[in-house]
Amino acid sequence: MNAHSTTEVADSRLSQAMPAASMSPPASQAPTPALELCGLSKTFTLGGGLFKRGRALGAVSDVSLRIPRGQVMGLVGESGCGKSTLAKMLLGLTTPSAGDVLVDGRPLRGASQKALARRIQPIFQDPYSSLNPRKRIAQIVGLPLRVHGIGTAREQAARVAETLDVVGLPRRAADQFPGQLSGGQRQRVAIARALIMRPDIVICDEPTSALDVSVQAQILNLLLDLKAEFGLTYLFISHDLAVVEHLVDRVAVMYLGRIVEEGTRERIFAAPRHPYTQALLASALTPEPGLGVPDIGLGDAMPDPSDPPAGCAFHPRCPKAEAICRQQRPRLEASGDDGTRVACHLA
Amino acid sequence: MPLLNVKNLHVDLPVEAGMLHAVRGIDFHVERGEMLCLVGESGCGKSMTSLALMGLLPRKARLSADRLEFDGIDLATLSERRRSDLRGARMAMIFQEPMTALNPAYTLGNQLCEGLIRHRGVSRREARERAIYLLGRVGISAAKERLDQYPHQLSGGLRQRVMIAMALMCEPDLIIADEPTTALDVTIQAQILRLLRELQQEFGTAVIFITHDLGVVARIADRVAVMYAGEVIESAPTPALYAAPGHPYTRGLLSCIPTPGRTLPGSRLQAIPGVVPSLVGDVEGCAFRNRCPQAQPTCERTPPLMALPDDHRARCHYADRPVPAPRQPETMS
Repeated sequence: MNAHSTTEVADSRLSQAMPAASMSPPASQAPTPALELCGLSKTFTLGGGLFKRGRALGAVSDVSLRIPRGQVMGLVGESGCGKSTLAKMLLGLTTPSAGDVLVDGRPLRGASQKALARRIQPIFQDPYSSLNPRKRIAQIVGLPLRVHGIGTAREQAARVAETLDVVGLPRRAADQFPGQLSGGQRQRVAIARALIMRPDIVICDEPTSALDVSVQAQILNLLLDLKAEFGLTYLFISHDLAVVEHLVDRVAVMYLGRIVEEGTRERIFAAPRHPYTQALLASALTPEPGLGVPDIGLGDAMPDPSDPPAGCAFHPRCPKAEAICRQQRPRLEASGDDGTRVACHLA
Repeated sequence: MPLLNVKNLHVDLPVEAGMLHAVRGIDFHVERGEMLCLVGESGCGKSMTSLALMGLLPRKARLSADRLEFDGIDLATLSERRRSDLRGARMAMIFQEPMTALNPAYTLGNQLCEGLIRHRGVSRREARERAIYLLGRVGISAAKERLDQYPHQLSGGLRQRVMIAMALMCEPDLIIADEPTTALDVTIQAQILRLLRELQQEFGTAVIFITHDLGVVARIADRVAVMYAGEVIESAPTPALYAAPGHPYTRGLLSCIPTPGRTLPGSRLQAIPGVVPSLVGDVEGCAFRNRCPQAQPTCERTPPLMALPDDHRARCHYADRPVPAPRQPETMS
């Protein structure tokens, strides 16, 4: 098959869909999710050489998720569990080894980076390293418009000014450099840059982790306002469970490259079924004096992602592990009738 | 007599734009065996305070204090030589990022034993025995084999356990832990905090725990000192601080973190508007007044440290009385 022609077809499809999608109100009744991940996997090869096979590292394994339009899906898990690799695949920054990403039911596979960037935009963790220190804020925020050749210089400047208003930055910020802004203001710049293309989907990768708590609240409020105003769909990656509980509609919990539990916020936070989710929730320290630090009952046998344990990858740390957990990998299956999916033999 | 007694500590740093007043006249004390949390946001001076106590300030920094006493020893006038006799022996430090605090070129055994041999003059064999004992106490398996490993061979959580063991080697009276769990995953954080609290109580070590996380503070601190813009703006025993915060900044910090059961998911959080003032040059009046929802004309005068019930102090004109009249809420610029 001619790869070039496929690219063009997908490209034109996406750009046709673009204006229609951005005009229509957030339609929660629409059956097609805004973003769907089907069996998405990414394998890296470690070491190896000309005549030697490297070891395979499954950073993300067989992840399937559906995020309805206008909703927020939280993705939680420890560092190294594959959250950021997943985000990179959605942004087209790394190619999946297997599986598909569907936007409004259409596969992204083969779509050009440009077409993708019109639909999906990122907000990264560190507003200190994700902004070019030598460019003025207006240039940083307006760059996507120039790359995509949208509007005249005058129109671009107007759109930049408008977007700065939307994210709550003063107009004078346009002529400043990132180094002249505070951390919270820089994260507003990053949000403005993500929103100027009017994407439908925003991948937020730890967007407030580098910020002070008093500023974190400002940014979380802004993300909630923008979602309501533009009908955005978020994939919200975070390790801060209090923030996740505050912001999301659904939660997916990842461990060693796989989703181990997924369901509505209410369900997951009220009655987690996977022992790893239970431990994660137990280790969230709420500001309630007198409770002490709970014993979460986890061992610290941290797994090696390039040599994952047989059976359930969590079993070496799991306080409830039984014989079957060491032999057979549990499948992610519907548990109960509330749409929760759990990958645990004992749930 | 408290183990550590600090009165009117100032730390100034010359920067390009002038003089940065990183720590502006703070008072606090630490009793033997207690856990004091210094809490505040970046730039509030909490790390500079800890470096001043350890005698590890940058060369250009200028320190002054009416009193800076550790177990009756005046730290401000101590020679560098006598200082280094204290460091590691009677005061130890645990840093945020164990990978940068550990030397990658030496084995863990080397680094664990060095202090004990230097300060207590024990033999290498005795030092290794104590290192093995302490690695076991901090929950590291196969401690003997670990002594010959290098820092990069350990995960972040294990490295921080090694740092805790290292801090305990000489049985210090005081450990300063500067954001020791911030770089760790939440499950590992819970395990490390539990361990630190247990060992601290078992060995009777006083700890100054520096953090920005009010959730962590609530769970481990005996007493809390809240810092803002280089000052301690509130200090209290932990239950009193959370039950009735006396400073509007502390109240703002507590209400801007989403808390299950108190904040409705998806609702707007009570953010603190604006940003921290610059500490270059002189700061007049209350440093928080530009962000304060109840600021008054009075606040242009420097507020005194008001005494409240339960050994509770707050640096606010209105800590012990109601604010005169509600002011129009300020819009954010």
